Amino acid sequence: MVRFKNRYVLCEVVSEDPRCRQCIEDRTVGLAVRDAIARAHGDYGLACCSVSFTVKYLNAYTGTVLLRCRKDFYRLLCSALPFVRQLESRNQRYPCFFNTLHVGGTIRTCQKFLIQYNRRQLLMLLQNCTNEEERRSIRQSLLSCSLTEEQPQSGDEEDGDDTETD
Amino acid sequence: MAAFADLNVPQGPDKKCVQSLLEAAARLGYSTVALNHVIDFKEKKQEIVKPVSPSELFPSLPVVQGTSKRIKVLNRLTLVVSDPSHCNLLRSTSTNIRLYDIIAVFPKTEKLFHIACTTLDVDLVCINVTEKLPFYFRRPPVNVAIDRGIYFELLYTPAIKDSTMRRYTISNAISLMQICKGKNIVMSSAAERPLELRGPYDVANLGLLFGMSESDAKAAVSTNCRATLLHGETRKSACGVVYTVKKPRKVEEEEMTLPACKKAKTQG
Repeated sequence: MVRFKNRYVLCEVVSEDPRCRQCIEDRTVGLAVRDAIARAHGDYGLACCSVSFTVKYLNAYTGTVLLRCRKDFYRLLCSALPFVRQLESRNQRYPCFFNTLHVGGTIRTCQKFLIQYNRRQLLMLLQNCTNEEERRSIRQSLLSCSLTEEQPQSGDEEDGDDTETD
Repeated sequence: MAAFADLNVPQGPDKKCVQSLLEAAARLGYSTVALNHVIDFKEKKQEIVKPVSPSELFPSLPVVQGTSKRIKVLNRLTLVVSDPSHCNLLRSTSTNIRLYDIIAVFPKTEKLFHIACTTLDVDLVCINVTEKLPFYFRRPPVNVAIDRGIYFELLYTPAIKDSTMRRYTISNAISLMQICKGKNIVMSSAAERPLELRGPYDVANLGLLFGMSESDAKAAVSTNCRATLLHGETRKSACGVVYTVKKPRKVEEEEMTLPACKKAKTQG
C-alpha cells in the first residue's frame, strides 16, 4: 500500500526557569527546532525535514512535545535536537534543552509510551509528596491513566510539575 | 540494556553546582557519573590531591529516573600532558593516583598520543575537540590501544555551545572514526551547567553525526562506559591474572598457567 510513512519523535522540554513553561507553544517550538536543524545540517537539512514537519501535540505543564517528520529524514531531525538551546517568544529567551524520549511510527505508540512514562513520573512524585491530600490525588491519577479514545492526553498531572528536582 | 554513564562531569569548586548537575543527570537517566579533576602540567606544580569520597560531598544522591537506585558517583583524574616528563607521574608508585577510579590522559602531541596508547597505564585517552588536531591519527597506535582495552573519549558539550567548536568536533571525530571504525569510543559531556547535559538517547544520536553506526553510538554511551569502569577497577586491583585451561587430550598435564596478555605488567 502506498502511503507516506512518518516518524513521530516524542521529546520533553527541560528548563530551569519556570516561566519557560508559558512560552511552550507550537510556533515557538517549531521555530526553535527548525533553527537547530538549519544550524546543524544547513539548507539541505532544513528543506528535507520541513517536508512534513509539524508539532503534533504539546503539553505545556509537563513540557511534552510530539514532532512529526518523514521517515526518510528522521535521523536529520533526531541528530539536530540536542542542539536546541533556547526557546524564543515575544522577545524573551529561555534557555532549555530537549530530551528525546521515544521515536515511533504512529501517534498511538508514542501515546502508549507517554502513558507509561507519566506513570513512572507520578510514582516518583509520590515519593516526594509531603501531605496526604497530594498523595491521594496522585494515587487517583495513577489509577485513571489509560488509553482513551478521544484525545492524546495521558493521565492527569499534578500541578506541582517538576517538584522532584526542587 | 546496559546502564548509561556520563564519565566527565567537571568538578568545580562550587558544590551546589555539582549537586544540580548530578540531579539533572539522574533525571535524564544516567546511572553512573564520574567527577573529573583536571591536572594541567603547564601551570606551576600542581599537587594531586586525594579524591574526596562522594559520599562525604553529597550526603543524599538523587535517584535515577527509570530505576530505583541512586546514582553512582566515581572519581576521575585527567592529566593534560604536553611533555614526556609529565608521564612520569603515572609511573610513580606513590600516592593518590591509585585512589581514583578512572585515569584519563589528554595528549597534546603525536608522540605522546603514541606513548599513551601503547605504554601508559590509563583507561581513557581524550581527543581534543576544541581545536584542530595538530597530528593525524595513525593506525598502529590506535589498534594497540583497542587491543589493550583503552577507550577514546569525545566530548560533546563544546559542539552544543559554539558553532566553530562544532566543526572541529565533527572533523576530529570523523577522522578518528575512519581509523578505529567506531570501536572503543566513549562520548561524554564536560557540562558545567545542568542545561548543557543531554540525555543518553540524544548523545547516541550525536554519535550518528560523528559517523558511527547506530549500534556503535548506543554502545558509546552504555557498554563502552561500563567497560572503562571495569578497566579502571582491574587497574586498581589486579597485578596479574592466572588463567588455567584444561587440556582435553594430554593426560599428564592437567593444568597450565598462562599470563593474561593484558595485565601482565607488575606495578613496581
